Amino acid sequence: MIEDDDRIRLSLVLALEDEGYAARGAATAEEGLALQRSEPADTVLVDLMLPGIDGFECIRQLRRDDDVPIVVVSARDDTHDVVAALEAGADDYVVKPVAIKELSARLRALKRRARAVTADPVPTLTFGDLEISPEAGEVRKRGAAVAVTRTEFQLLCELAEHAGRVLSRQQLLQRVWQYDGGDERLVDVHVGRLRQKIEDDSGSPRHLVTVRGLGYKLQR
Amino acid sequence: MRRAGLRARVTAGFTAGALGLSAVMALVSYQITRQSLLAEREATAVRAAYYDAAIVREGVGAGARPENISAVLRTLDTGEDRRAVLRRGDVWYARQADTGATGAIPAELQQRAAQGRPVVQRVRADGVAALVVAVPLAPDTVYYEIDSLRELEQTLRVLTLVLTLVAAGTGAAGAGLGWYATRYVLRPLTRVADAAQEIAGGRSDARLDPAAEPDLARLSTSFNHMVDELSARLERDRRFAADVSHELRSPLQTLAAAASVLTRRADRLDERSATAAGLVADEVARFQSLVNDLLELARSDQPARRGPVDVAQLARRVCAEHGVPEDVVTPGSYVWRVDRRRIEQLLGNLLDNAAAYGGGATAVRLAFDGDRGRIEVDDEGPGVSAEDKPVIFDRFVRGRSSGARKDGAGTGLGLALVTRHAAAHGGTVQVLDRPGGGARFRVDLPECAP
Repeated sequence: MIEDDDRIRLSLVLALEDEGYAARGAATAEEGLALQRSEPADTVLVDLMLPGIDGFECIRQLRRDDDVPIVVVSARDDTHDVVAALEAGADDYVVKPVAIKELSARLRALKRRARAVTADPVPTLTFGDLEISPEAGEVRKRGAAVAVTRTEFQLLCELAEHAGRVLSRQQLLQRVWQYDGGDERLVDVHVGRLRQKIEDDSGSPRHLVTVRGLGYKLQR
Repeated sequence: MRRAGLRARVTAGFTAGALGLSAVMALVSYQITRQSLLAEREATAVRAAYYDAAIVREGVGAGARPENISAVLRTLDTGEDRRAVLRRGDVWYARQADTGATGAIPAELQQRAAQGRPVVQRVRADGVAALVVAVPLAPDTVYYEIDSLRELEQTLRVLTLVLTLVAAGTGAAGAGLGWYATRYVLRPLTRVADAAQEIAGGRSDARLDPAAEPDLARLSTSFNHMVDELSARLERDRRFAADVSHELRSPLQTLAAAASVLTRRADRLDERSATAAGLVADEVARFQSLVNDLLELARSDQPARRGPVDVAQLARRVCAEHGVPEDVVTPGSYVWRVDRRRIEQLLGNLLDNAAAYGGGATAVRLAFDGDRGRIEVDDEGPGVSAEDKPVIFDRFVRGRSSGARKDGAGTGLGLALVTRHAAAHGGTVQVLDRPGGGARFRVDLPECAP
């Protein structure tokens, strides 16, 4: 957990340990990034307001190294901050003060996603120049592997499973994030990130298309 | 009585002014024309009478016989409009036997003429205006000419009609001008009204262009200044509430986490400590919702982000989360264009309110009519008293029957937020009496058609 407020860090570490997690705190982004390199955690919680390297940059650097799930825990909930953090690569966003039960549910959902990737024995799905192998957890575009995060992959798999059909943002929130009535910006930003990776022109997508007023669908 | 509008009053003023002015002008021109026509006619008549009188004087000497007198009178070229009569002594002579004409000559005129003075007088004979010219020929002989003014009267009647029409036309033109002028003058004010309405509707960036109407530049500038001040103050208030809430969030996070650690170990604490830990946890939770509601309120003046939402499905989920049976919601699917987050919170707050004061919601009714979506949440509690109804949607107002509340939760902001969320959709909230007892909260949301 990267959090500069000592009391918040201490109390959250205590509470998360109560929930059965092994938790460690870092007071700065620099310290957190070093810790993640030396002893990688399964999930990273990041505050946005940090001294030195700020939360957004911290997320970008974490994301550069690997696809570790990142959850933002911030007192800021302006659309601007939420979208910027998600675009930097965060998988989920919770606003302080978050109840420990809720935070715990978020972490469980991320863990389930990590497992789900390797559990389903589904054959490779092909969408034109796109190949999705749920079992291998791989996406290939014209044969070349595309680096996607677990959340992005899960999102792609859900859409691939319902190929040609529209999934609403709420359905995707439910299936990928296990949110009942969550923030639809999560879906929109992740779809945007995914498009940049799998589409030739993310401005006019061919595969992952928006169905106005309804949601998204994946097509050839 | 309602006072007539500025426009109606200005138009009426213009009409009255134009009408009055044209009436005076008409009257004056009528009088002048009439006077000059009459004077001219009188002069002509007098000239003609004297001319005729000279002929008559020659024709009728002192001893002329009555037949000769009539014959002389007949030689006169008087046309149709003039009648010539002669009085000698007490006897009237006329060209024909139409001595009736003598009745038109007033006695007073006869007396004055008899005294040897020529007289001109206007009279009415047989309902027609006429001019009587009396020319004394001899001490006992007076020549009268009665000149009918029928033609002149006709001319004056036509003139009257024309002038009346002109006056009426001028009045109508005045009304038209007034109407047009006020529209022209009021148009910039219409823009002010439009801008004010936009601002009231939440678009705080509406301003007037002072250059558009140089004469109203001061009004535009003051208006803009006022709006600037107002939105700056609103923004300050909003920022303050948001800043305070934000600043409260961090310590609250510590409290929430620490309280959860404490409550998890409640069974290992002694009874007094466990009770205290429970109280802390409950109050932290309440504090948390208060801060969230305050933040929500601080930004609730932002416009609704509408999208298609199945409100029935949403209502069933919110009911489930609030421990209300899902079957209280109108069955079926109601897809409306609304702000999901706001409607979810609106429903949640109404359910919370019903739970706190009405023993729980007993019905969540959805209806769609034309373009308007309606949500009704019923409870079968004591209802809302008449004196509470006007203030129940204000901030931090809690029902007088607060005793009915069991858990002490509730921020006092729930219904205020319901109002704000409805208003963000351009909608309204009302509290009604449920038939059969209890309260009914009705939310109307316009422009919901998907």
